[in-house]
Amino acid sequence: MQKLLEKIVAGASGWVELRYQARSTKRITVRNGGLEESSSVLLSGLGVRALVDGVFGFASTTDVSEGGVLAAIDAAQSAARTSAGAKKERAGLAEAPMAKGTFAVATDDPLDAHSLEEKLALVLRLDERIRSGAKEIVSSTASYGEIQDEKVIVTSDGASARILDSKPELRTIAVAGRNGDQTMGMESSGVTGGWSELLGITAPEELAGKAARLAVDQLAAPHPSGGVSAVVLDPTLVGVLCHEAIGHTVEADIVLGGAITSDKIGQVVASELVTLCDSGASEYAPHAVGILPVDDEGVLTQRTVIIENGVLRSFLHNRETAAHYGVAPTGNARAYVYSDDPIIRMRNTYLEPGETPFEELIGGIQNGYYLRGLGMSGQADSNAEFMFGVKEARRIVDGKVGELVRGVTISGNAFDVLKSVDAIGDDFAWENGAGACGKGQYAKVDLGGPHLRCTLTIGGRQT
Amino acid sequence: MNAQNLLDHCQRALDLVRKHGADQVEVFGETSRRITSAVEKDDLQISKSRQETRIGLRAFVGAQVGFASTNDLTKVDDAARDAVTLAKASPGDPHNVLPEPAAAEPVDGTYDPAADAFTTADAVKQAIRMLETAKSVDPRVIVGEAEFSAEIRDRVLVNSSGAEATELGSLFAYTVLTTARDGDKVSNMVFKFGAARRVDGIDVEAPARRASAEALGSLGAEKGESFNGPVLLDPYAVLFLFAPLQFQLNARNALRGMSRWKDALGEAVAVPGFTLVDDGLLPGGVATSSFDREGIPHRRLPLIEGGVLRSFMHNAYTAHAFGVANTGHAAGSAGSLPTIGPTNFTILPGEVAKDELISEIERGLLVSRFSGNTDPISGDFSGVAKAAYLIVDGKVDRAVSGTLIAGNLFEALKTLSGISKETECVSNYTFPFLRLEGVSITSE
Repeated sequence: MQKLLEKIVAGASGWVELRYQARSTKRITVRNGGLEESSSVLLSGLGVRALVDGVFGFASTTDVSEGGVLAAIDAAQSAARTSAGAKKERAGLAEAPMAKGTFAVATDDPLDAHSLEEKLALVLRLDERIRSGAKEIVSSTASYGEIQDEKVIVTSDGASARILDSKPELRTIAVAGRNGDQTMGMESSGVTGGWSELLGITAPEELAGKAARLAVDQLAAPHPSGGVSAVVLDPTLVGVLCHEAIGHTVEADIVLGGAITSDKIGQVVASELVTLCDSGASEYAPHAVGILPVDDEGVLTQRTVIIENGVLRSFLHNRETAAHYGVAPTGNARAYVYSDDPIIRMRNTYLEPGETPFEELIGGIQNGYYLRGLGMSGQADSNAEFMFGVKEARRIVDGKVGELVRGVTISGNAFDVLKSVDAIGDDFAWENGAGACGKGQYAKVDLGGPHLRCTLTIGGRQT
Repeated sequence: MNAQNLLDHCQRALDLVRKHGADQVEVFGETSRRITSAVEKDDLQISKSRQETRIGLRAFVGAQVGFASTNDLTKVDDAARDAVTLAKASPGDPHNVLPEPAAAEPVDGTYDPAADAFTTADAVKQAIRMLETAKSVDPRVIVGEAEFSAEIRDRVLVNSSGAEATELGSLFAYTVLTTARDGDKVSNMVFKFGAARRVDGIDVEAPARRASAEALGSLGAEKGESFNGPVLLDPYAVLFLFAPLQFQLNARNALRGMSRWKDALGEAVAVPGFTLVDDGLLPGGVATSSFDREGIPHRRLPLIEGGVLRSFMHNAYTAHAFGVANTGHAAGSAGSLPTIGPTNFTILPGEVAKDELISEIERGLLVSRFSGNTDPISGDFSGVAKAAYLIVDGKVDRAVSGTLIAGNLFEALKTLSGISKETECVSNYTFPFLRLEGVSITSE
């Protein structure tokens, strides 16, 4: 395929980008002991982007014969030409380090070496494990999913890369009930890697046990009263804050649409303890879900420092926005499947760890909360205002973690929260589990960081 | 790929799944050709075309089921083997059945041969017309996003019980998202939708003009007031607030015990004037087609009639589990197992004009967009009324910002005080204006 695409690109007129993708997806879901879904999807096709007179056109096809590829190039170029008369601003492409060679996920234990029966047996076992966790469990769901990709990206300006990727995940959901009251517990895990990496990151039975325990414990938990409070956030919430409330506001297309960050490069936007990055590699801990050696424009990815010691340093770019701003691309162009055109997306978004041990973070709070994980709801705007549900909230009293409370939400402006950070933990974890990011199309991303201590608004019972 | 070709592929796929060891087989094939032209921030962004054929295979081995799908017609044998392997490895379920075959009659007006000649240049023209129309209303209007798409879709369903159904459809859909800006004043975002099944039915100007007018109308919105009172929901707001009705009416959720109405058939769940119909045969409807994802003919089905719950939406699985007639609500693409979902989901209009509903309000709120959550289980809703207007003494008084509304969907259905005679179609949903009573309105 790579040879064919190279030959076609060499003969094409103007700038073209060809991206072939073959994807195999499997999903097994068991609910309350019964099978909900067992499915296998095989997709392949080619996406073509063409640039004619400063206007992009895109076409996709499932016909990847030479004739099919040429027809798709023609369709993309004709879409661009047709639009040229009507488009006001002309797009350019920034120079970038283009990828050459083969980039494969490192694993000695590929997913295809494990049978469907083995995967199904694991899911059935987890579902059973959730229900046997406690007599209060009224519903259990366990699922396994895997995405395996082969991509070939060839462009007129030098990229020719073959990329092999593998991302498996596990998800467990427990619903507990007592006297008409229902509570939910969820745990998931996900990696870039093979079977043993998935099972190694968190023991599957531990996920099931945690989900069940969380659901049951919350039945007896009181609701907190709202207000501004000192809190310790776990790596999941730190990552969610970095990705959802900060990260989207620095995606250059969102910036151009009028995000709060548009005139803030070089300004202090957070505590000087805060350094926030987005990387195509798995920094600090292995197997992050968003590992992306080459982006979908064929650009080698990098570690992009967004906030350095509290100062906003960079947006996240594709080649078009990098050209617009006169900076180097950051390797953030991604497309979910072959029929999607690449847009600016995050990869692994995280906060750099600090130096404070966890016990000291907690020990420094007289009256506050230890907040773990993202609950059911979450939203953030391009002005960095956010509202997230919290999965597990415990009171901190006199420097000690105590009682569980339920129904907690946190809200505020993410930059204000980052300004209030007064200590950052010395630990680190990738925590997105089976989560994905949606922006018109999906992307598998990861998020994480250390624990940290800050101040934010706690929402209590919603009436 | 023409329709006969797709049918041949599906029939060959059926034989392959059988050959790998399935007792019963269902094959659903779709070919889609789609052209899109998109506008962002007042400028044309990108034009795209795509075509894809997707085949979905459901293999039954006794009461066990496996599903596989592919868009690579050279890999159908691999997919067939996967479907059977998955079925054999899976726990069985007695309700995993194929539906009884039933012949679907062709429906008029779902396909326009002129759609075949529709080009990318035509789509670009329509996108630009939307942009220019919206801007022509007032230079303060900004078109944040607009998109025009044209799609032709072939569908084929065959199964081992002898079902064979084919259909060709065309759909033109267009959306526009506007804001208005005047100095430091920024309006709410306004979203409008339009669609046509035929080329001569395309009208991108109407939604563009309305999107601009409403954005301008909410410019200069100021702090509102806090009170408990009536709220008149625009059809777009009804869509977001009342979406969980689909969850309650899904037989699968009733089967799992998750629908609040699981035991409420024949009972009043809404005011007597409230009738909700799902009609897969609605002339010109976005979701109109002759058969569902399992090949069962579509029909007009009252779900709530005169306030009384009449039916859930069923597919073959839930119809078998409940021992009732299949209502033809199997939903989904060739890329996944059949689920359950609505076709053209319609709240029937009332007899009173929208302006009359407003004139009866002493102090209330008109809400054009709702951004928040409705909990499908409890029915509690709370969120921000995005393009909201204070109503005082029977008249729309002024635009208000930062106003939260909260209430309960199930209570609202039983206390609705007005249903307008005007309706609006948003994708496959057609809703009137609804007047809710006793809503908690809080100004931030």
